[in-house]
Amino acid sequence: MQQLYNGRIDEKILLQELDNGLKVYIMPKRGYTKQFAIFATHFGSNDSKFIAPGDTNVTEVPDGVAHFLEHKMFEEEEGSIFEQFSKLGASANAYTNFTTTAYLFASTENFYENLKLLVKFVQNPYFTDENVEKEKGIIAQEIRMYQDDPNWKVYFNALEALYHVHPVRKDIAGTIESISQINKEILYKCYYTFYHPENMVLFAVGDIDIDKTLDIIKENMRQDKKQGKIKRIYPKEPLSVYKKEVVQDMQVSIPLFNLGFKDTDVGFGGKKLLKKNLEIQIGLEMALGRSSDLYERLYNEGLIDSTFSFDYGGEIDYGYSIIGGQSKDPFKVRDIILNAINNLQFLKEEDFERIKKKYIGKFLRTFNSVDSIAYSFINFYMKEINLLDYLDVLYSISFEDVRERFQNHLREENSVLSVVNPIKK
Amino acid sequence: MELIEKQLNNGINLYIDTTDKFKTVTINLYIHNQLGKEATKYALLPAVLKRGTSSIKTYKEMVKFLENLYGTTMAVSVYKKGERHLQQYRLELPQEEYIKENILEEGVKFLKELVFNPLTEGNAFNKDYVLQEKEIHKNLIDSRINDKTKYAVDRCYEEMCKGEPFAIFELGKSEDLEVIDEKNLYHYYQNCINTLPIDIYVVGNVDPRYVEEVFTKYFSFQRGQILNIPSPNIYKEVKEVKYVTENLEVTQGKLTLGFRTNVPANSEEYFPLLVYSGVLGGGPFSKLFMNVREKASLAYYAYSRLERFKGLMVVSCGIEIENYNKALDIILKQLKEIEEGNISDYELDSTIKALKTSLNAMKDNATSKSDYYLSQKIAGADLNIEEFIKKVEKVTKEDVVEVAKKVKLDTVYFMTGKKEE
Repeated sequence: MQQLYNGRIDEKILLQELDNGLKVYIMPKRGYTKQFAIFATHFGSNDSKFIAPGDTNVTEVPDGVAHFLEHKMFEEEEGSIFEQFSKLGASANAYTNFTTTAYLFASTENFYENLKLLVKFVQNPYFTDENVEKEKGIIAQEIRMYQDDPNWKVYFNALEALYHVHPVRKDIAGTIESISQINKEILYKCYYTFYHPENMVLFAVGDIDIDKTLDIIKENMRQDKKQGKIKRIYPKEPLSVYKKEVVQDMQVSIPLFNLGFKDTDVGFGGKKLLKKNLEIQIGLEMALGRSSDLYERLYNEGLIDSTFSFDYGGEIDYGYSIIGGQSKDPFKVRDIILNAINNLQFLKEEDFERIKKKYIGKFLRTFNSVDSIAYSFINFYMKEINLLDYLDVLYSISFEDVRERFQNHLREENSVLSVVNPIKK
Repeated sequence: MELIEKQLNNGINLYIDTTDKFKTVTINLYIHNQLGKEATKYALLPAVLKRGTSSIKTYKEMVKFLENLYGTTMAVSVYKKGERHLQQYRLELPQEEYIKENILEEGVKFLKELVFNPLTEGNAFNKDYVLQEKEIHKNLIDSRINDKTKYAVDRCYEEMCKGEPFAIFELGKSEDLEVIDEKNLYHYYQNCINTLPIDIYVVGNVDPRYVEEVFTKYFSFQRGQILNIPSPNIYKEVKEVKYVTENLEVTQGKLTLGFRTNVPANSEEYFPLLVYSGVLGGGPFSKLFMNVREKASLAYYAYSRLERFKGLMVVSCGIEIENYNKALDIILKQLKEIEEGNISDYELDSTIKALKTSLNAMKDNATSKSDYYLSQKIAGADLNIEEFIKKVEKVTKEDVVEVAKKVKLDTVYFMTGKKEE
């Protein structure tokens, strides 16, 4: 097995690529009570148009298929997979985001049996007309729950404003309308395209035996031949933003806002993407973090409160920053932030080393829990980033890198404002 | 893995849990109070304290100081456990060996200043800080409506416990804010730090003697007579089930049922009750998940949860508005099934295993561990995690059926859409 090691934090991860293309990563964490394994496919809500390996024609599927498929994987002819995990005392779950569908469990005993179950059930689809129909009611309630969540709405409205055509502007679960078109044939087509071992990754972490873990995985994996590349088709996204402002009324007490910035320097993964991610996050922290002049000013003027936050999410083919919170005057918050950004008055070299230190501490905290290690690992993996490279890349960043990146990314013309207002009586 | 306990001579208890699995040291300081008339003032205090200490006068400088300690995180919060109102101050400091610096003492000193040496002017807090925090606090109280899922549960309990201290929202009431100023708040604060019980939990790879030495150095000041907080009254006879409907601009209805369990927090019956709630709605193996979600396709989430300290249980789910009766019938039927002893071995075993897994998993999270110890203490119990698990494992089907008879429906709350006018 290949070993990935980082001496700064004294952590190692072992890697083995199986003959069928599956990449297996095992991370021993001595002394931990909990074990955690995650089996993920590079298939998310963004992948609704593609050419499957061996096909010549394009397949287009309704929005929300990846998420729907995730729900249905837990059902097998013999019954519910949850039941089997429950019997083994593990808690199983799954999630779907823009790029990934992941199945996972946390256990404190019976790790190897649970792992076997995880590997087997993800390879065993069982869709019927009846069980697909039944799921529509459940997912409809999931969609409604998010529709009534103003923080979710303000976020997706911002994405809709940032992007003209890129599928990231669409809700992960789809709409009640789009999921009504899903049937078992569509699910099988997506399953056989995206759930091939070559398109998947398995990560296991805990106080576990490396060889035994690897053996269990090997014994229970299908011996498929490699299938070749899936061609994912994303529409050509213009550099500009789609809409400058979007406002919606909902049952809230005070306006919520998301100020979004579209990243136009995209199209790469790996260390370069990690570096960009960190540059923007450090820049945002320097400009708007709790120790910044701008935060102090906005807070003292009563324009923001402790819900104020910001983040940059960078994927291979797109990226955006979101600055959000609640405010009595979101438009004024936007104007103050944009004005400060134009003047570049807020990026001070004296703050740089301090914020970098903060990020070192933040990274170390990730390693306190097997869950957060696993989630971070998969999240980075889908961007072709190795989690253990984090500190080295962080140390390599200079103040000039941050300033240059920041000037390029946080531009007024790349910005959109999404607001959710209280309903007027 | 025993918890080391030290008394600091002034009613402050220090608990140390040494473990080498974390890369950080976590310190949680809890202040206990009775949930009551002064709830708004009490809830506002941490926000004002966070604005500045006598030596670090602004929040900005405070954050800079913590960033220099390798991003030591500070979090303050206010919540309730039963009718106990708690303030929590948490620091998480990177472990010495990864940063090649000993920052624990600086962290402890900072924590002391944060809670006990705020920025004052004369015999009052800084006026601007109080004014600003009052406005923000008002917004936070009002914005509770934004999170519909939590709001539905809170509102159900409020309606159910009207007139009891438990009905008080953890952040207080916005009307109370009007009369609060920098002087009366400071006066109240002094009373709090002098008389309220304080517990500090330290979890991490530390030398307990060194931790004790550092805390003794900074936390040995005098305090007054420490308040004794009584256990809440958990018994209330339900004469008639209360039905409450609230109309909001929503597309999904939230059906929430509140129950009196009539089981005290430190009773032996608490363990069967925990299993009872698990069988009913504690996971994908539970009756609510299987029947409300999987069989009837009515909801995405449907669960039950205990409020241990006040002896309450809540069942909640999000449904199509017109499915109110259907969902209510199915939920009530599940309760009846348990009472009649219709619990499969699978349901019972899975519940016990799930509880065991989540209890064991607490050992891997420093703050969950602190919270576990704190809850034990508040409940008046003294079990470590292993002992607690043993009690859960011993629960039989008969025990669950027995405790089920004590659980009484009190209130049905329904959040629904606005009628077309």
